[in-house]
Amino acid sequence: MNERLQDYLVFDQVTKRFGGLTVVEAPFNLVVPRGQFVVFLGPSGCGKTTLMRMVGGLDEATTGTIRLEGSPVGPPDERRGMVFQSYSSFPWLTVLQNIAFGMRYRRDLSPKAKASRARHYLDLVGLSDFGDAYPSRISGGMRQRVAIARTLAAGSDVLLMDEPFGALDAQRREQLQIELRRIQSEEMKTVLFVTHDVEEAIFLADRIIVFSSRPARIIDDIDVTAELGSDRNLELRDSEVFFRRRADILRTVRSTLTLV
Amino acid sequence: MSGALHSAFAFRGSLSRRKRVAVALGSSFFILLVWQIASWVGLLDPIFLPSPLDILGTLYDMTARGEIIGNALISLGRIMAAFLLSAVMAIPIGMLMSSYRPISAALEPIIDFIRYLPIPALIPISIIWFGVGEETKIFLLWLGTFFQLVLLVVDDANRVPNEYVEVARTLGARPYEILRDIIWRSMLPGLINNLRITLGWCWTYLILAEIVAADNGLGYVIWTARRYMKTDEVMAGVFVIGIIGLVTDQAMRAGHTWLFRDQGTSR
Ligand SMILES: Nc1ncnc2c1ncn2[C@@H]1O[C@H](COP(=O)(O)OP(=O)(O)O)[C@@H](O)[C@H]1O
Ligand SMILES: [Mg+2]
Repeated sequence: MNERLQDYLVFDQVTKRFGGLTVVEAPFNLVVPRGQFVVFLGPSGCGKTTLMRMVGGLDEATTGTIRLEGSPVGPPDERRGMVFQSYSSFPWLTVLQNIAFGMRYRRDLSPKAKASRARHYLDLVGLSDFGDAYPSRISGGMRQRVAIARTLAAGSDVLLMDEPFGALDAQRREQLQIELRRIQSEEMKTVLFVTHDVEEAIFLADRIIVFSSRPARIIDDIDVTAELGSDRNLELRDSEVFFRRRADILRTVRSTLTLV
Repeated sequence: MSGALHSAFAFRGSLSRRKRVAVALGSSFFILLVWQIASWVGLLDPIFLPSPLDILGTLYDMTARGEIIGNALISLGRIMAAFLLSAVMAIPIGMLMSSYRPISAALEPIIDFIRYLPIPALIPISIIWFGVGEETKIFLLWLGTFFQLVLLVVDDANRVPNEYVEVARTLGARPYEILRDIIWRSMLPGLINNLRITLGWCWTYLILAEIVAADNGLGYVIWTARRYMKTDEVMAGVFVIGIIGLVTDQAMRAGHTWLFRDQGTSR
């Protein structure tokens, strides 16, 4: 069991082609220990979403395998939760119902437990006053928070988050980053997180994987925790080491291709 | 005044509910008025086209003689029976066709084949199969709507964003749960709109069925009146159908708006 902690999620010689388009070229290898917060950073269209979808079971690797806890990942299940790039709350459900939908297919929770969890995550994403509102009545950023809360409420061990904070304003973004980091470390969640925002990457990540442009190749694998520790808070944001790290990473990224 | 007119005719602009009703009533009244005047001054031969007031009078007499309400209810009953049958079959079949490729591959050619057949061409065979009773009428109506409706349902189901389905899958939903909780809920506004449109077509086939084989219903009333050249009675029957169509359509529109008032303006 102990070894599974170290190689909890494994990309083993993974490739992916869509018809003639090679998105991921062999060999893509990555070993993610349990409870690690991994951020994917790379130019648009390099294949980050595709990698996440393969972990989630929505796409299949062309060759190679992705293993979770030692066995190849199959179709989607409750162990892997996904927050999609475009916000996808259901228009026929209220905000609270949307969040509760995350637990709809869980048989291990009582209706009461589901209701209180839904409330909890509603509050967490700052939508307490909008529980009864329908998605058509709230802003895009709020809808994205609904989708985030829905996935968190589902309680899966692995979180696959594809540019989840893209539509949020700076302040809300900062708050959710801190919350996400807290939930992740408290509940030992393993997170794959895609972003274009270097600052966000450094603040959140235990480890940053920097990608080349398509076909995706890892051009850097940065151990952020080694330098910043695992405690992330607002003071860190203003610290000197944070700025230095940010400059380093920006240089790496710029040396490959245009980003941002 | 010209400012108000200008703003009312803004390209893709909006019009308040009150004004819309006023314009609709005004234009209908205007047409009736022109028609009535044309009759008065002798431009229209009453055998060819009676005046609106004559038709109204005839309609009153026919209603008093008990020729309208009973027959209208019979026609409506036939439509409802056949329409429900079509919908109850088309909705699940269409949803399955949209979800499973082999099912659509198997059914699409048959549906397309029958869809393009003119319904009148199928009257003889349906009389051979079902005689001249209610079954034939229901069958003809079903033929005319089911095959159209099933493709509309497929289209509605196809238009459900794949992302909704994927969200549900990652939350552990199984196929039948996706059909029930996602596809069905998401397609419902579009579906109800299509049901409303299909219901309108039912009247076309109903009249056809009642002309061929019936001794009651509005189609029968119209066809019998025609035989004696009672143009005013023909027009009165037509008028009743138009009114029923108008009322059901508007009611369904209003119901749609109310039912989906929270889901935003899309569809
Ligand atoms: N289903 C698909 N069919 C064909 N090409 C696809 C499909 N999904 C993604 N692609 C292509 O694969 C490449 C990588 O896409 P994606 O993983 O979304 O990149 P990223 O998320 O890094 O911006 C893009 O060129 C995209 O057009
Ligand atoms: Mg992407």
